[in-house]
Amino acid sequence: MRRKNTIAATVLIAVAIAYGALTAYLPVRTLPNTPDPSFFPWINTVIILVLSVLLLVGSLWQSLPEKPSRDSSRQRLAVWALVAFFGYLAVMPSLGFVLATVPFFAVMMVLFGENRPLWIGGGTIGATGVLYMLFRHGFGVFLPRGLLAGIIP
Amino acid sequence: MSPDALTGLIQASGLVVLASTCIGVFVGLVVGMIPGMTISTGIIVVLPVTFVLPADISIALLLGLYVGGMTGGSFSAVLLNIPGTPSASATALDGFAMAERGEAGRALGIAIFASFTGGLFSFLCLFCIAPLLADVALEFRTEDMFSLVLFGLTIICSFAARSLVKGLLSAALGLALVTIGQDPVMGTPRFTFGRADLMAGVHFLTAMIGLFAIPQIVDNLRSSEAGARAQKKLTSVLPSLSNLMAIRLPVAIGSVTGAFLGILPGAGGPIAAFISYDYARKLSKAPERFGAGCAEGVAAPESANNAVTGGALIPMMTLGIPGDPVTAILIGALTIHGLAPGPLLFMERGDFAYGLIFSFFWANIFNFIIAILGLRVLVKLLAMPRTLLMPTVAVLCVIGSYALRNNFFDVYVMLFFGFLGLAMRWVDMPVVPMLLALVLGGQLEEHLRVALTSSRGDVSIFFSSPISISFLCLAAISVVWSLRSNRKQAKVSAKGPNP
Repeated sequence: MRRKNTIAATVLIAVAIAYGALTAYLPVRTLPNTPDPSFFPWINTVIILVLSVLLLVGSLWQSLPEKPSRDSSRQRLAVWALVAFFGYLAVMPSLGFVLATVPFFAVMMVLFGENRPLWIGGGTIGATGVLYMLFRHGFGVFLPRGLLAGIIP
Repeated sequence: MSPDALTGLIQASGLVVLASTCIGVFVGLVVGMIPGMTISTGIIVVLPVTFVLPADISIALLLGLYVGGMTGGSFSAVLLNIPGTPSASATALDGFAMAERGEAGRALGIAIFASFTGGLFSFLCLFCIAPLLADVALEFRTEDMFSLVLFGLTIICSFAARSLVKGLLSAALGLALVTIGQDPVMGTPRFTFGRADLMAGVHFLTAMIGLFAIPQIVDNLRSSEAGARAQKKLTSVLPSLSNLMAIRLPVAIGSVTGAFLGILPGAGGPIAAFISYDYARKLSKAPERFGAGCAEGVAAPESANNAVTGGALIPMMTLGIPGDPVTAILIGALTIHGLAPGPLLFMERGDFAYGLIFSFFWANIFNFIIAILGLRVLVKLLAMPRTLLMPTVAVLCVIGSYALRNNFFDVYVMLFFGFLGLAMRWVDMPVVPMLLALVLGGQLEEHLRVALTSSRGDVSIFFSSPISISFLCLAAISVVWSLRSNRKQAKVSAKGPNP
């Protein structure tokens, strides 16, 4: 935890400095003796900076017990899930909801431990179809059709 | 009964609204009882639906889910010793011990009855107190509102028990994120980098989906406990008259404690449940039975956590201050429909405000009926395949953030907050303070700047009004009280035999 706190504090100090730098360039539009648009961001900058320094000092002074480490294979699963999520969102605007969701759903089912091909196929197509029809036609959410525009309703 | 109250009752009793409440309760019971799913996740699942439904139907759905989720959490606590929601942690202490003795049905029946009583009591509090409080709140000036919002933000301390610095940092980051977009007083663009998408700022519902759901999906992947399954044979569910007589005092303690603590920002279900459990044990003639599987140990926390729901709705409706994360999400859902919770809600849309209160009443009625009649079916849902459930939640996160404004930018913002939530979890930083800061930050800045503008920069304006001074004092008390409660809760949890 000490190492994590040190990393977090360092990152947050950098964030506070960057936020402060951006705040300094905010346009000045105010009346005399009244707070301008950068007033609140300056307060935030100071608070984040002070708290981050406190966290850094605390992490250097204190030696907190480490949490038991998690199973590395499960952590790998988590990383794969995030990669799948990222890929899903990257391709959805061009492929459309249905074509992007089918492989994503299948990958997620596998990552959650499903290994029966029929269940994966049925679950993936069924869930994607139900969600698409429910939200696109039931609730009027304009889920993108992508490459299937003109083919699916 | 006032004309608004009568109209509200009629609106809440319409067939479609009742059906929506019913569905909400059912979904709430299901998500509440499944370990790894929380009420917040359940709300995220139904959120995209609420964007397209009328306001009264949406809120009825969400309230049903809120009430059902609180009760559902006790099912897995009793049957699996895994609380479905944090609020059901205290229920597991005696509920699971009863189930081990073959009294799972009786434990669940008592939990359902206690939840019903606690919920109804909090409905009465909501119905009686909320309109009066709204009338008082109409007199507030901008400096009073600033102090009030600051008081609301003291909820942060309740979620920062392990590290106050990290809790405050989480909130400060939330306040910084609130400043993205046009500033609330002059409309000056801030931190938008020339992007039109950022002019409206970060919508807190998008942030909430990312902060809560993505880490939860990842946690379910990593958690070996999540797949735990156990089936207990259910005996008679309905509590006998002697059972009801035995639990009357713990239910009364839980109801009063829960409703009161619900009103206070940050107290929430888990704290109310543990405090009620502790008081019920202290006032019991046989305190040694607590922890070994006694009905009173189930009744007190269950009545408390359901009583919290009505209590938490009081500051949400009358002051626009969320009592817990779920009511923060409800505020977001109301604003989507152009309704601003606060004193003006009762003045401008009294019918809707009372409709909300009566929907809460119906939610408690349906919760009791569905839980009692459908218990055996609901318990079977504990075996629902996670392999199908969690991918569905992941896709619903995307639909929910996309449906908000029908654009992909919000989906990417959701993903950003998902990564942020994971990073925060990695360093053991609570996400709830950030969520609350995202809800209240805009108001905090607006009232602060307007008050300072009216006083020409003189900060003594915040000490010139008795209301403002009262809220500032309450904020200080709340900070101290929250930290003490957390320590007390930790002690009670440590004493329990089945934490």
